[in-house]
Amino acid sequence: MSTTLKRVHGYLAEFDSVQELYHAAEHVRDAGYQRWDVHSPFPIHGMDKAMGVSRSKLPYLVFCGGITGTTVAFILQTITQTNFWSSIGLGFLEKIVETYPTVVQGKPTDIWTLPAFFPVMFELTILFSAFTTLFGLLALIGLPRWNHPLFASKRFPKFSDDGFFVCIEARDPKFSQEGTKSLLEKAGGKNIELVEDEV
Amino acid sequence: MSHHVTFNDLPQGGEKFEPAKGGKLIGSLGLVGLLGLIASGYFFFAKTDTFAYSWLFAVFFTFTFVVGGCFWILLHSASNSSWGVAVRRIWENLANMILALGILATPLLIPAVQKPLYEWMNHHRAAAEHAHHDHSTVKEALHHMTVGDEAKKIEANPHLHILVEKFGYLNISNHFLPPFSWQVRFVLYFLILWHIARTLRGKSLKQEQDGDIKHTIAARAFSCRWLLFYALTVTFASVDWLMSLDYNWFSTMWGVYIFAGCAWASMALSILVLTWLRGLGYLNKVVTDEHYHLMGKLLFAFTVFWGYIAFSQYFLIWYANITEETRFYLTRNTEAWRGVSIFIVVGHFVGPFLLLLSQPRKKNPVVVSLVCIWILFMHLVDIYWNVIPERGPSLGLGYWVPGAWVQDLAALCAVFGTMGFLYLRGLAKYSLYPWRDPRLIESVNVVN
Repeated sequence: MSTTLKRVHGYLAEFDSVQELYHAAEHVRDAGYQRWDVHSPFPIHGMDKAMGVSRSKLPYLVFCGGITGTTVAFILQTITQTNFWSSIGLGFLEKIVETYPTVVQGKPTDIWTLPAFFPVMFELTILFSAFTTLFGLLALIGLPRWNHPLFASKRFPKFSDDGFFVCIEARDPKFSQEGTKSLLEKAGGKNIELVEDEV
Repeated sequence: MSHHVTFNDLPQGGEKFEPAKGGKLIGSLGLVGLLGLIASGYFFFAKTDTFAYSWLFAVFFTFTFVVGGCFWILLHSASNSSWGVAVRRIWENLANMILALGILATPLLIPAVQKPLYEWMNHHRAAAEHAHHDHSTVKEALHHMTVGDEAKKIEANPHLHILVEKFGYLNISNHFLPPFSWQVRFVLYFLILWHIARTLRGKSLKQEQDGDIKHTIAARAFSCRWLLFYALTVTFASVDWLMSLDYNWFSTMWGVYIFAGCAWASMALSILVLTWLRGLGYLNKVVTDEHYHLMGKLLFAFTVFWGYIAFSQYFLIWYANITEETRFYLTRNTEAWRGVSIFIVVGHFVGPFLLLLSQPRKKNPVVVSLVCIWILFMHLVDIYWNVIPERGPSLGLGYWVPGAWVQDLAALCAVFGTMGFLYLRGLAKYSLYPWRDPRLIESVNVVN
């Protein structure tokens, strides 16, 4: 018989209803824990407040992504189709590519033809924002990953049906074998188990 | 989570507004309106031609808010929303200003006012004269004027061709009465909007008697039906009053463009009224930051919507470069109007877009209200930019009539001041929120 080395992932506690989960989250928040999460089959209004989660950084990333899209579209189009860059003394930029103004309906080839480029600027803003949203989100929440330690628990799969869980991770500085367990018990948690991860 | 508000926390009978508390603003609006009316009376007789444009500008500017208020109650009922119950009465009262505005709009029915504004009416009146002599129809007479008649010394005016083509829609009641002439439609617009505003507020007030949900359901059914007529009214009103200032010009996006501005500006106005009322100590129990956030989101949505529509209209017309369409933008893209055009792009879209982008700013009543003041100003510039550039060329006075801005200001003070005075005083008539609406509690505790 061989022995396998295991690492404690954290305590998992089950709750019967949304209300209990909500109040438990408030308890854990007030106890000052940082590395913990709740799991429910559906989103719960106001849960981020009850958990004390600060606002996501994602909007800032998306804003930067969007601005990048606008700028890229602006530069690409003005360099290839207008004399804007040489008119502000940066003519060498236009040497990189061949400037080829598309003159339609007698409209100018300087910066004032800008509205003609708005659709592409708009599209690239949307495209870059969408990409930053998707990939920024995946990066922030740490997906994709092969497995999660919580899947070791037999009860945990209920989270996608009718189970409400709180999991406090062992890497939280406040985590302690006795203290965390009694906190979860006091908050009304049932079936409290120590989830272990195979190393 | 903050305390969950129940009906027991709210006063019986809702909150009644005492005009004396807001006397400063109401009084100054009344004074401004009175002075504006006196000045307008002078200009109306002394400078009828240029002042006609001022009056149209002022009336239409005020009209957009009333129309927007009407839209928000219609949408709120039709979409079965509950979040806005706490602020709905502000829109209801705004929409019900339509009758008072109708009285201020009546000068537009006077032929002497129409003469400088609507060139096509002059041609129609001339054609009616000819038709009267020749016993022909007005349309035939218009056609004769297009091709000319040497025997009768009528010079050919090929531009009138388009009036012959548009005769089915664009016509006036003169020696005869076509069923849907300009004047008949003018009255009809006000009647339709009045009917919508009166019915929806009526149902809301009846609910205050019995607290029955059936009024909410009836309002929903009513709104779904009347949204169609509302949309047609806004579209054709903007076509009749503004687009026909230049009878050659046409844009299929015009109605939507005006509507986007209406919804945008009236939301800004209602946020300002809300902040003002809360500053006086009203509505603090039923309105929270969440409502500001929701209204701010709609404001943001319509900033984008307006930008989208305004740009599409410009883009298609300017780059297609069809003579009769491009004239509109040619006037506004040359001389001093060019600066105003660029200012509108930045101030009407880019500025509000960036300011309203972040959630904490939308939730902050002070910040949102400051943005709303800017929005009202930009909406004013937008309507001014739509109406006034027609004045100089139509009257043969160059692209800009010197000194005429005084008349515009007088008309604006007269109409907006008077209407603002009546609106704020009118708030006192009923409770500031529908206090027996069964979904009020849902609205008070809204989280988004």
